[in-house]
Amino acid sequence: MLADLVQNTLDGLAAGASYALLAVGFTLIFGVLRRVNLSYGPAIMLGCYAATWVHLNFQAGLLVLALTVVLFSILAGAYVERLCFAPHQDAAWAPSPASRQGSAIAAMVASFALWMQIEEVAMLALPKHLYAFPSLYDGGPLVFGPFTLRVEALVMIAAALAVCALLWRVLYRTRFGLAVRAVIDSAPAAQLAGINVPRVLMQVFALASAIGGLAGYLIAASHEQVTPMLGMWSTLKGLLAMMIGGLGSLPGAIAGGIALGLVEAHSQWFLGPQARDLIAYLLLFVLLAWRPRWMTTRSAS
Amino acid sequence: MSETLLEAKDLITAYGKIEALKGVSLTVRRGSITCLLGPNGAGKTTLMMTIAGILRARSGSVTFAGSNISSLWPHDIVAAGIALVPENRLVFPSMTVLDNLHAGAYQRRDAEVESDIEKLLQRFPRLKERSGQNAGTLSGGEQQMLAVARALMSRPKLLLMDEPSLGLAPLVVEEIFRIVAELHRDGTSIFLVEQNAHMALKVAHHFYLMEQGKISFSGDPGSLAEDEVIRRAYLGSAT
Amino acid sequence: MDDYTIGVLTNVGLFSFIALSAYLLLIAGEMSFGQQAFFGVGAYAGGALTAICGLPLPVAALGAMALGAGAALLVGWPALRLRGLYFAIATLAAAEMFRIAFELIHFQREIDGDLVGPDGTQGFRGIRWVFENGVEPGNYLVIVWGLLFVVMLLFLLVERSRLGATLRMIGEDPELARMLGVDVERFKLGIAAAAGALAALGGVLYAHHNTYVEPRNFDIMLGVHSLAYALIGGLGTAFGPLLGVAVDIGVLEGSRIFQGYRMIAFGGLVAILLVFRPRGLLDERIVHWIKARFASP
Repeated sequence: MLADLVQNTLDGLAAGASYALLAVGFTLIFGVLRRVNLSYGPAIMLGCYAATWVHLNFQAGLLVLALTVVLFSILAGAYVERLCFAPHQDAAWAPSPASRQGSAIAAMVASFALWMQIEEVAMLALPKHLYAFPSLYDGGPLVFGPFTLRVEALVMIAAALAVCALLWRVLYRTRFGLAVRAVIDSAPAAQLAGINVPRVLMQVFALASAIGGLAGYLIAASHEQVTPMLGMWSTLKGLLAMMIGGLGSLPGAIAGGIALGLVEAHSQWFLGPQARDLIAYLLLFVLLAWRPRWMTTRSAS
Repeated sequence: MSETLLEAKDLITAYGKIEALKGVSLTVRRGSITCLLGPNGAGKTTLMMTIAGILRARSGSVTFAGSNISSLWPHDIVAAGIALVPENRLVFPSMTVLDNLHAGAYQRRDAEVESDIEKLLQRFPRLKERSGQNAGTLSGGEQQMLAVARALMSRPKLLLMDEPSLGLAPLVVEEIFRIVAELHRDGTSIFLVEQNAHMALKVAHHFYLMEQGKISFSGDPGSLAEDEVIRRAYLGSAT
Repeated sequence: MDDYTIGVLTNVGLFSFIALSAYLLLIAGEMSFGQQAFFGVGAYAGGALTAICGLPLPVAALGAMALGAGAALLVGWPALRLRGLYFAIATLAAAEMFRIAFELIHFQREIDGDLVGPDGTQGFRGIRWVFENGVEPGNYLVIVWGLLFVVMLLFLLVERSRLGATLRMIGEDPELARMLGVDVERFKLGIAAAAGALAALGGVLYAHHNTYVEPRNFDIMLGVHSLAYALIGGLGTAFGPLLGVAVDIGVLEGSRIFQGYRMIAFGGLVAILLVFRPRGLLDERIVHWIKARFASP
């Protein structure tokens, strides 16, 4: 029993690490824009599909594949940013809260429209329901006594830690990071301070897409497959983790991702896959309805 | 006659169909303190935001030190030498006082940023005490000082101030106006929107009255009896 | 009219119900990603009432609507206290919980030798009331559009009334509404219930049209689509959502040119449209203009 608990916890941490990365990307975009990008997952999916295509047609090493995923995620992300978010930014200054919310809804629905578009592009290129994706490591899992830990899981956790450390350095030790924190704190104040807010938005989008792409690559390599559901799946997991951790906070995104991973791993073990999802959603709904203080770090109006 | 630093000509700024500025023209002379007075809703904040580039005028122009800045992005206007201390202060609440100041210097690439911060902290001792605190925990008066200090970090030639005394205790208000006079002595030109007409007239070299989107009076303090000015500033000329 | 066209037109009608459901909440200022839950409740409840309980379709439809309204209140009561994005995500979470619940329900009865009833992920087969009562596709089309016509009439009447004005004011400026004495919270609950009933009506009609539904039919895609239809068609009038549905299903489905590229075309068009018309095709401004032109000469 205890062994199961520990094993589930290990598995949960690995899954949680991937959710944390997805949530971090979502949170960066939400932090600077106050809007949710529904095309976040699909952009990552496009990256994975591009890498799959490369894998099917060329002899490509792991690094090339990883870079392909990241590159195409960034490109797709930039496309979405230009078409769905940049055009609705001026309205963010509008005097009435209703018109501000109106432009937020328009931006998010537009990002949904592009979600459909990006998914269809990916599926036209690779129409099958499942494609194999090269794994990171061909050997077996690491075994410690009664516990096993797959190498991919270890890499995932290490990658999440590395990204967090890097992100912290960027945000707190660079000029760009200062600008990002300023825009997250108050975009109007950042404009007044002389920060080029539109450019920061583009850069943050690229950064978030890159992080998402990395997560996507590791997820595809862990599961050793890509499917058309990857887009929606990534968006949902990232969104859930971000909201569980408290919308708009980066440490919250990481905590939310890990929490989601752990809750899922344990629920699935004891109650099965449907209960796993049910409990995750229930957890989120209850947290939202009850709204403890630490969830409301940032407004989402 | 001193040189004209800023000139606005026939500015029309609208929110959708509602025109907040209906053709505003004014000038700010280099090395002066110019005041803009007027009742609530007259469009004073809209004018400041238009000059700072946050709102785009539908027609008309803004010229600064000879160049047309009407279609520039806000960050480029800061780079050109104008800084706005906005009506609601707009500090960065989750960032420290020091980081707020660093943000104000964002456009600068020179080596004197740190020494400027030192000097500003000397000038605003209360900020120095709280330099590691998050700006959101500061009192209203301290946030106002921070907003001014942040604007000064970009070494502006023209400082725009939108109602700096709003919501502050009388002693703090006096301190603010003392700082305004000091800044002017040190060479910054100042364009000031104020509700507190009495204090404003004490420091201004020139003032404008604005009502319902238009300039209704332009003159030096003394050209109009003070109580007349105050009446118009609060109630408008139609009364 | 051939069967294919009848099918397309019926689908446009069916999805209009859920699009109108999302639209109703949008004008009240709430963005819901979860109306598909009530569409599903209507489908499952309505199907159970006819196929298992043997009730006639009209009765089943009323029952489904009541359950839809009830489910909406259940979700709305905690969720409507949340602002903007939080509310949207809460509705998404709730809708997914409903969908998973559909996957977990196994309740079959033997009727006339067949097992009838929801069977988890396998779905709910045998909702055959329409066929057993000799309703032709053409007739069903008339029924669907007839009901839709009634609903539209109600919408248009409400738009002109004080109720409609209050509704729009709550969406535009809830503070003002509160100051004028409107119990905004109670009102929004009522709207949520009405929207739930509306979606459920669409659901029961949908189930009887297809004779078979499965939990996958009521996933997030349906929910976000409905929201998109409402927004694209335009928030100025109840015809907006219908237009949104018609454009997607009708035009793009009906014309074979876009076969295989439908979402690429539609997705791109929608994003571009929203840049220029963030309140949709038939937004308040255009509706105002149309009304002015057709007003007194």
